[in-house]
Amino acid sequence: MTFNSLQFLVFFMVVTLWFFSLSNQKGRILLLLIASCYFYMAFIPEYILILGGTIVIDYFAGMLIEKSEGRSRKAWLIISLIANIGVLAVFKYYNFFIDNINSSFLFFGKATSIPLLKMALPIGLSFHTFQAMSYTIEVYRKNHPAERNFMVYALYVMFYPQLVAGPIERPQHILPQLKEFRPYDWNNVKEGLARMLWGFFKKVVIADRLAMVVDRTFGHTQESSSLALATGAIFYSFQIYCDFSGYSDIAIGAAKVMNVGLMENFKEPYSSSSLHEFWSRWHISLSSWFRDYVYIPLGGNRKGPWRKRVNILIVFLLSGLWHGANWTFIAWGLLHGLLVILLTRPAFSKAANSNKTGALIKVVINFILVTLLWVFFRSENIAAAWHYIKRIGSLQTGSNYVGVNKIELMFSVLLIAIMLYREKYLRSHAIASNTRFYFYFGAMVVICYFFGVFTENQFIYFQF
Amino acid sequence: MKYLTDARDNNSWWGIYQCLNGDLVSMAYLDFVDRFIEANPRTFNHPSFSGERKTILYMDGDSFTWHLHDSDIIGLDSFCYFQRNHGLKYHLDTSKRNVLVIEVSERYLQSYFTGLQMFNEVLDTSARKRDVAGIYLTSINSSYTASLLPSVSADDFFNKYINQNLQCNLFNYNFIMPMFETKAALNYYIFNRASGDVVISNDRNFLFFRETVSKTDMGSSYYPVSTADAAHIVDVLNGIYEHYKVAGFAEVYFSVIPNSATIMQPEGYNQLIPMVQNDTRLRMKLIDAYSVFKQSHDVYYLPGDTHWNHKGKQLWLDMLNARLVRDSLVQ
Repeated sequence: MTFNSLQFLVFFMVVTLWFFSLSNQKGRILLLLIASCYFYMAFIPEYILILGGTIVIDYFAGMLIEKSEGRSRKAWLIISLIANIGVLAVFKYYNFFIDNINSSFLFFGKATSIPLLKMALPIGLSFHTFQAMSYTIEVYRKNHPAERNFMVYALYVMFYPQLVAGPIERPQHILPQLKEFRPYDWNNVKEGLARMLWGFFKKVVIADRLAMVVDRTFGHTQESSSLALATGAIFYSFQIYCDFSGYSDIAIGAAKVMNVGLMENFKEPYSSSSLHEFWSRWHISLSSWFRDYVYIPLGGNRKGPWRKRVNILIVFLLSGLWHGANWTFIAWGLLHGLLVILLTRPAFSKAANSNKTGALIKVVINFILVTLLWVFFRSENIAAAWHYIKRIGSLQTGSNYVGVNKIELMFSVLLIAIMLYREKYLRSHAIASNTRFYFYFGAMVVICYFFGVFTENQFIYFQF
Repeated sequence: MKYLTDARDNNSWWGIYQCLNGDLVSMAYLDFVDRFIEANPRTFNHPSFSGERKTILYMDGDSFTWHLHDSDIIGLDSFCYFQRNHGLKYHLDTSKRNVLVIEVSERYLQSYFTGLQMFNEVLDTSARKRDVAGIYLTSINSSYTASLLPSVSADDFFNKYINQNLQCNLFNYNFIMPMFETKAALNYYIFNRASGDVVISNDRNFLFFRETVSKTDMGSSYYPVSTADAAHIVDVLNGIYEHYKVAGFAEVYFSVIPNSATIMQPEGYNQLIPMVQNDTRLRMKLIDAYSVFKQSHDVYYLPGDTHWNHKGKQLWLDMLNARLVRDSLVQ
């Protein structure tokens, strides 16, 4: 079930009303667990078994880790991690790995064909697997006690607002909130709904509108002009932002309605003046996951500059792989890693300019860089990405048609400007006055309906 | 089964918005655009026949061949239509000539003939062929009606069409239509496009179903296909042919009805139909609508519908009838 579907709207209303009609937390947890199971099963029902299997393993692993010390403590952690990474390896990376082996054999003239698995990737697998791993690691590190109540633990992994596309939460932040009975709070409901509407606006009005341009330009690279391709690339930067941050807004808003606070996942990433800063503002829950569980355990910046660079590269390589089993994601991750290393060297840092124009130029340059790297993320393969970038750079003539008419193109630019302004200057979603809230609510519903593009487009990050 | 919607007075404010001007016009709420609306009579020439009616024609078809009657096809003793519904068990009357026609829209060609087992079971040879018609009626009632109310089953909650069902049940009222039409008008007049899953053709004279023109959809005329994909379809079709010939059919015909985009907007067409039909290994005899539609200067599709117009269907029927006569299956 996608957030931008009628099914979700009905589901959300039913679950929320039922949630507040229950007077004890046990009932609420059970309701949310059942609702989350249904939410997940609405995609492919059978895959609940995979999720259920890892939940059972991690639940017991958490308790065994807590009870053990020394090597056996570590062993239980490793078993849990192997189970989670194993699921990822089979469902997400097996075909990629085998496909490359088969291609290698073919390259050397041997027509060996190892069979591929014919199955769809379970939706949101990387998200809930990482959230589950965060639990066992935190228990291992003694930052959080093992959860005794199976239902609470299962809900920690499956809480439907953030089940399939994050934010990837930590146990110490979410588990206490799930266990505590919090009475109905109208202010939270207002803020949550306002935030959800903003998320819907970003998804259906902006992201899915920009998708028409992006799909056209990435699907017709050869005949499109450089100008059209550049427009497509820039629009993709905003499409993926509005799509993913829109999802996060809806998730955070939906949880807020039920008095659960989720972590922020984005902080105006395109106002960053460096790639390093970009990664502290983009998909924060994933960046901080890699920082806490990969970068720092590898030594971080404590083992000298060269080791630090290697660690950064490893983290970005893993980040690329996390997004998908394709060389395009690996290239995207590695390029980000390389540029983070290169552009944070002192020579580049000294170029920092304290005046406003200088700062703005740095933001623009950084945005162009991020946009060019997104081309790898969006393209079907590295050759196609490179071809796309080359055609932008070679100032080719060709079709300027970008899939929408000029009015819609201008309208899209206006929407992007509104979105950027709103997120920079009007960040709060809390509306104290009821009258203003009702007006905002009504206006946003009307705008989302009349200007929304409804083609049942899934959220881009669902595939991860 | 009685549905809540059955009780509505369709002309009242809470009546059902009815699809009168074409399925795509209806999907995009573009009833106010005259160019997409065309009358489409449903009566066809009745071929004259004076011989003995000894042929039973079974039609395994889809919505293109709905509403056909015995009298539309030459020399039939009877006509049994079953929509693509497999696992049926039926009986052939061997005292007659049994002919099977498999008709499929291009947009389902790959999905139906790459994975599914298209086998129905022939039980024995007693004269109980009408069983098939009975099963067909039962199946259409259970599969093709938005059925959240009043009967709710587990399937409804995991149904891939749940959003369409919800929209149908929650918003398909006459009084809401002005809102839908306002949005459709906004998109049409300002942004020059249609709403939802409908796309306007490049010459702006036709509506296309999005999944028939999207490059990422298997049913699309522009979805990349390889010769291996086409060869696989041929293998499956040959298996189906063998199955039904062994079961006792005198002949099995195959006919793909092209997507309207394939004929009306052929630039970039993936050539799926010719790749399948021109494969010399294909054993089924063809009712080749693609070649005829492509070469003709006439228009065979409705401007606001996924289906053909009266002229297209009549032409196809003429081809079918001619083929039956030529192959001496009606005499």
